[in-house]
Amino acid sequence: PRSPLKPVQPPKPAGASQRKTQKTRGAALPSSLIKCIFKHYAKMPVARETYRIVEKSSEKYFKQLCCDLEAYVNHAGRKTVEMADLELLMRRQRVVTDKMPLRVLIERYLPLEYRKLLIPVATSGNKVIPSN
Amino acid sequence: KRSSMKRTASRNTLRKIIKTQKPQLRIAANADLLVRCAVHLSFLVFLNRLAEEARTNAFEHRSKTIKAEHAIAAAKVI
Repeated sequence: PRSPLKPVQPPKPAGASQRKTQKTRGAALPSSLIKCIFKHYAKMPVARETYRIVEKSSEKYFKQLCCDLEAYVNHAGRKTVEMADLELLMRRQRVVTDKMPLRVLIERYLPLEYRKLLIPVATSGNKVIPSN
Repeated sequence: KRSSMKRTASRNTLRKIIKTQKPQLRIAANADLLVRCAVHLSFLVFLNRLAEEARTNAFEHRSKTIKAEHAIAAAKVI
């Protein structure tokens, strides 16, 4: 039999409220990550309220990005996002230009494990990774 | 210093962001990783641009720290 002293299961208002806020906020990158990246690129002291602005603008950035991607994908008559759409997107943002190809950007910005995925590398056994 | 910065984002989060914005969009299964890496890349480039713009703004105002108004002005430009 259950002992009467056993603590009652505490109600979980914390979890419920967390879920609610997540729903209203939607999915977003962790603010600590945004802060970390921004701080790194800024190379100078950053006021605390600035991060709020940065977060807000990155939210808007993602919204815009999704809309653009949708337009490109629809234009190509597809329903799935492909690599070419991303490249086109960055070309439109003037991030990828003739002088600054996508490869260079990948090499400059992404950590090694992502770079390996994006840039085909010939490995031993005459295999090229990634295969697709 | 460069290596100390965390540059990897949770891919699942990136996927979720796209999903919440555009639920009908699908990401090619084989290109899944690549696409999310590229989304992450474009985001990094965006943050870099924003930071540099904000920095020049701060310099113009002879401020030693990047304040909110500098970031707002930078966000409008970009």
